[in-house]
Amino acid sequence: MAGSKQEQLFTKFKEQAEAISARVYRVHDSSAAGRQLENIIKELNIKKIAAAKSGLVADCLKALNTQDVAVHTSDLRRHAEDAELGLSEVDMAIAETGTLAQDSTALDQRLVSTLPPVHVALVRIDRQVDKFVDAVDYFNEQDLMPGYIAFISGPSRTADIERVLTIGVHGPEQLHIIFVDQAGGETCE
Amino acid sequence: MSDKQQIKHNIEKALANENLRGALGRFGNDYVGARERAYTGKDFEELRDQIAAVKGDAADRMEELAGRFTESAQARGAKVFRARTAQDAKDYIKNLAQEKGATKIVKSKSMATEEIHLNEYLGRQGLDSVETDLGEWILQLCGQKPSHMVMPAIHMTRDEVADIFSKETTQELSADIPQLVELARKQLRKKFLAADIGISGANIAVAETGTLVIVTNEGNARLTTTLPPVHVAVVGLEKLVDEFDGVKPIIEALPRSATGQKITSYVTMITGPTPAAYPDGTVQEKELHIILLDNGRTEMQADPVFKEALQCIRCASCLNVCPVFQLLGGHVYGHIYTGGIGTILTAFFNGFQEAGELQNLCLGCERCKRFCPGKIDLPKLIRELRSRVVEKGGLPGGQKFVLEKVLPNRKLFHRLIKAGQLGQKPFQKGARIRHLPMFLAGLTEGRSLPVIADKAFRDQARNLSVPEGPSKESTPDSKEKVGFFAGCLTDFVYPQLGQAAHKVLKHLNKEMVFPAGQTCCGVPAVLMGVRESAVHLAQQNIEAFEQAGVDAVVTCCPSCAQALKERYMELMETDPAWHERAKALAGKVQHITAYVADKSGNGSSLRLKQTGGRVTYHDSCHMKGCLGITEEPRQLLAAAGLELAEMDGSDLCCGFGGSYSVKFPSISSQILDKKLHSMEAANAPTVALDCPGCKLQISGGLDSRGKELPVKHTVEILAEKI
Ligand code: SF4
Repeated sequence: MAGSKQEQLFTKFKEQAEAISARVYRVHDSSAAGRQLENIIKELNIKKIAAAKSGLVADCLKALNTQDVAVHTSDLRRHAEDAELGLSEVDMAIAETGTLAQDSTALDQRLVSTLPPVHVALVRIDRQVDKFVDAVDYFNEQDLMPGYIAFISGPSRTADIERVLTIGVHGPEQLHIIFVDQAGGETCE
Repeated sequence: MSDKQQIKHNIEKALANENLRGALGRFGNDYVGARERAYTGKDFEELRDQIAAVKGDAADRMEELAGRFTESAQARGAKVFRARTAQDAKDYIKNLAQEKGATKIVKSKSMATEEIHLNEYLGRQGLDSVETDLGEWILQLCGQKPSHMVMPAIHMTRDEVADIFSKETTQELSADIPQLVELARKQLRKKFLAADIGISGANIAVAETGTLVIVTNEGNARLTTTLPPVHVAVVGLEKLVDEFDGVKPIIEALPRSATGQKITSYVTMITGPTPAAYPDGTVQEKELHIILLDNGRTEMQADPVFKEALQCIRCASCLNVCPVFQLLGGHVYGHIYTGGIGTILTAFFNGFQEAGELQNLCLGCERCKRFCPGKIDLPKLIRELRSRVVEKGGLPGGQKFVLEKVLPNRKLFHRLIKAGQLGQKPFQKGARIRHLPMFLAGLTEGRSLPVIADKAFRDQARNLSVPEGPSKESTPDSKEKVGFFAGCLTDFVYPQLGQAAHKVLKHLNKEMVFPAGQTCCGVPAVLMGVRESAVHLAQQNIEAFEQAGVDAVVTCCPSCAQALKERYMELMETDPAWHERAKALAGKVQHITAYVADKSGNGSSLRLKQTGGRVTYHDSCHMKGCLGITEEPRQLLAAAGLELAEMDGSDLCCGFGGSYSVKFPSISSQILDKKLHSMEAANAPTVALDCPGCKLQISGGLDSRGKELPVKHTVEILAEKI
């Protein structure tokens, strides 16, 4: 993808995602992602993390100073219940709507993005698409339709009482999105 | 209580509920703007064409798609059950729970499960089935039903919610919304973690891949479909689309039309079972059961007219823009599906008789039609429902007599009006001109009576003068012969509109003629479901204008214009010869204002007197919504040197709706209140509009409130400035 196109998409994504209450960061590589995560942990005083495994997640965690925080990457059904932060890598970012898209067939991916009150999502900068329907096409073109595709746009929300918008109902009340420029390793194709 | 009494009772209750009106009113006002913004950069017309094509095709091949879906989903490991009736679906779930030894169920929002009253049923079987959508949970706790398809508890206040939650948790809670939401999160989180079965609905079911698409904001559907080891999805057959590609236009339109969001927080696409954690700590494939629910849908599919309703994507925009819904909310409809589409669905899911009373609530303003992303002609479906109910059950005596006997007999009808016998037998007791024809009727609450003119326009029209000789700047069509269609209100209540039209047309060097064989346009009969009378009236009018040999046909009334342009062809659908004649007439018909704008270069060649002044303009429903005319009157008023002071919501209904103001005077009058309020706020000394019905409603309303604000048809204003 041409650099300028990527920049345009990122600008659009950030604008759209922030408009629906997500926070968007951009870092150079996975260790910078680890430092960004550390900032979030400090700011929110997080003590327990549940992380769904991926190459980028592992690299990011490596860069994290984990003395004060317990990080769990297995037995997540139990740990995600009371973890204060869930960490995962998503497959794609959709600029038009500020949406993240992920093949969430693996249970862990769903647990860390639904149960903890804070979800931090890592996404490779070269995994941006422009339109929502582009992402639909992407999944449709795969040989086998994934079992569970998740599209996530901002934190969970409701307007069910008097139509007053309230952020954070059943899902996370905070969504942090960290774009990584040079993620290294495999892209998660 | 009979259905009728029940509805009347519900209406009174709703009108007395200030909270409801506040919440719905605020929402109705915000909704249109939010929706508009969400559609920025999207072509709504194109999207809805695509949805209509995808869903229309799916409706045509419903059975085939159900088969294809079943195969695809089974190939991916899901169990698919076809439930013919509501009971079949409920039994299946009950048996499944028994077989699994399950007692705890969590549910995410699903209209299909509401439709079959699943929760109550499971409760009676001793199962603990909890709604997890915040609005639905509130309703479950207090034993109420949803009043809106998308925002189920929109009728409740934070204080009521605080009371309900306080009772549930036996603690004193304040009416602080974030705190109430937090409490719901905590309480329901326990339920999610402990549940044996999760039940969801689906917004789309893809036959090609066996995929279910679920659209939510709260995240409860994600938990429902992730945590419990058994997932049951209850899916109405109308949710099927053939190819995965068909998801695209629906997913683009649904959030935008439903809540004015570009996309909801979550969109979930599930294909076959996925891993879940079992109570013993292992992670294995879950069980996925998909119930394809019929419950009246194949019957709807088999109906050539009502099949269209299967294109619905349940976005509820038709409720959000409905002036009646805004006032009354959903509970008045008495069933799960509310508003216009709810009336149609109720007919098939609960029976025509019940829906028969509900269809009366429709004003016929046709606003919903412009907004529907499924491209459903709801007003047409409601008219059809009405005529079938009437065919079966008949009309009340007085109405029957007027619509079936008096109205089609032009001479009798006109003689009756002229003789001022309007209030006498066989018409209903009370008000004078109550049911003759429905147009002339709106008396009672909130509006002064229309006065029947001393001399009807048809009697004045005998002496209409003809332009003298060719004008100086004669154009090829300047000698055009223009037939004037009066319609009942212009003819008998506002003949001055006919005179004004004549003056303006003459000024344009047109010859205006009044074919005396013309009669009521037939809209009242169409709206009341008396098709035979409507056909009869249409034929009389077609003949009258054919004999007059006119080049163009104009009318001051947008409802009449629409009848002549569209309805007649619809009425003659089964009769090719008459259909041709209706079509020929339709091609000539224009609303007078559009005609004049067209022929005068938006008023420039009229050389109107420029005396200055301000005016505010009301867009009549049938003028803007059906004929699509909004700019022409504004251009003409500007050409008359008037400054336009736009009112808020210029296109909101005035509440006239033909006979409506008679059937439901209190609703009509409250809709009118709203209109008058924004009209006055515009602070102009004159109100302009283009519909005699609106003129009657609005000027009557102003009059009965002791206000002196002249209400004029555009053509009257033009005539004054010549
Ligand atoms: S009828 Fe149209 S507007 Fe109404 S809910 Fe269905 S799709 Fe939406």
